[in-house]
Amino acid sequence: MKTLSLKNLRKTYFDPYAGSQVTAVHDVSLDVEQGEFVSVVGPSGCGKTTILNMIAGFIPYTGDEILIDGNLVKGPGPDRGVVFQSFALFPWKTVLENVGFGPKMRGVPKDERDRTAREYLALAGLSHAADRYPNELSGGMQQRVGVVRALANNPAVLLMDEPFASVDAQTRMTLQEELTRIWQERKPTVIFITHDVAEAVFLANRVVVLSKGRVLDQIKVDLPRPRVWDHLIEDETFKRLSAQVLQMVRAA
Amino acid sequence: MLVAPGQKVRSRVAWRGMNSLVGAALFVAPLLVLVAIWAIVVPLFNVNPRIFPSVGSVAEAAVAAIGDGSLIRHIGASMLRVGLGTFLGVLVAVPLGIAMGVSPAVSAFLTPLFRFFSVLAGIAWIPIATLWFGYGFGAIIFVIFNAVFFVVAYNTLLGVSTIPMTIRNAAASLGAGRWALLTEVLLPGALPNIVTGVRTGLGFAWRGLIAAEMIATNVGLGYMLFVARDFYRTEVIVLGMIVIGVLWLFIDRLLLVPLERATIERWGLVRRT
Ligand SMILES: Nc1ncnc2c1ncn2[C@@H]1O[C@H](COP(=O)(O)OP(=O)(O)O)[C@@H](O)[C@H]1O
Ligand SMILES: [Mg+2]
Repeated sequence: MKTLSLKNLRKTYFDPYAGSQVTAVHDVSLDVEQGEFVSVVGPSGCGKTTILNMIAGFIPYTGDEILIDGNLVKGPGPDRGVVFQSFALFPWKTVLENVGFGPKMRGVPKDERDRTAREYLALAGLSHAADRYPNELSGGMQQRVGVVRALANNPAVLLMDEPFASVDAQTRMTLQEELTRIWQERKPTVIFITHDVAEAVFLANRVVVLSKGRVLDQIKVDLPRPRVWDHLIEDETFKRLSAQVLQMVRAA
Repeated sequence: MLVAPGQKVRSRVAWRGMNSLVGAALFVAPLLVLVAIWAIVVPLFNVNPRIFPSVGSVAEAAVAAIGDGSLIRHIGASMLRVGLGTFLGVLVAVPLGIAMGVSPAVSAFLTPLFRFFSVLAGIAWIPIATLWFGYGFGAIIFVIFNAVFFVVAYNTLLGVSTIPMTIRNAAASLGAGRWALLTEVLLPGALPNIVTGVRTGLGFAWRGLIAAEMIATNVGLGYMLFVARDFYRTEVIVLGMIVIGVLWLFIDRLLLVPLERATIERWGLVRRT
């Protein structure tokens, strides 16, 4: 079943400094099945964030259409959960309140949404941090909150824009492993945007390579799960796929 | 080293308690030194009580003013005015500041205007306030309202316009509508700035109040000072000055500073001025 469908997306910005139009997205079409994990990889400036922002509804889209479960996208909505590179947690809410925010917006009573939030916090190994404020957590912990906050709202698609780009390398690997584990448990549909080829391959069922606002190619990733860096780092298939994607990205 | 969570919190609280005690002592010490100098200098140079009173006569004036209930009446009148004017000012300024802060264009347009009026806030409005409202309650409330309104509206606007777009987007993508965005994001996001605005505005308002009471009323701390002057009652003037200063310190230290701390420190937000 198709959960997300992009048809001939385009986007042109006006660059006030150059005084001219800049086409960030030329023509992008993409279908994502329910429960699929799709990585979108490409060099910086190739239009990744623009595409994600159009799907999220943060900027009006141009092009033919964006469908979520068959419905046209009109602005931001809870059917698309977003995980931000800058975490974007509410500093004035505790971790528990942050995670319970989506359910609260749906009118779920406090007891019930606290229960849901605790369940998701346990999933991310964050039960002990429920009553803390975001600024009291490390970057890695904040992004774990960011991920389960989006998940707790049960979105049709989870949109992630370079979510692990601003944490240190060790933490990033742990977060990547945790994300694959959580994905296996809950099977959310995920669009994961990154410029890191290894990350794209490690996480996904399918890698979409983007170049200058166009889809250059797509590669299926049939690596076994659970995925663990200790195993994959030496894995021949992983190495081959990564090299293949890297070549495409560099040629782009 | 492993520390039980409760233990850590308790020692932190104890440390804070110590800290605030030391802080209070450091704060009061210079004031006590000032009083000591006063107590020595006035008898030493045999200062004329029409020029400056002795510590003893001010203490006597205090006992008398407390005894006949006049001090508490003046304080009550002043506090009521400042409370009401501030309440009205905040009530109008916060929604307006938020509405303006949401739109970058509107906030860019209004910012210079609000800065201009923030500087004028308080005393400069007294003459025209008495023309509009006559001498009395209305003029004084207007002056206080003015002192609070522009500063709070400006700070609210600033607070809202500096909430990162990603946080607003996060709320929207979690299902927040307009109302929820207002109450769950814009208001709490701007709160540290609002509190700072109220603190600054109240400072202006307090000065404005005393000045306005000197010319526009017949009760209140400002009036108490002004009338005492006519009778060369320097001990009452000084008593009033002390009460005005001490009351402000109490309002600021016990109400505004803790409020500011609770929001800014707890949330890890930096005040944006
Ligand atoms: N708001 C904007 N105004 C003008 N140009 C923009 C804007 N946002 C992005 N662009 C341009 O569009 C292109 C794609 O940007 P972006 O989608 O952020 O790429 P990526 O996320 O892949 O790095 C870049 O050339 C960028 O400069
Ligand atoms: Mg980007």
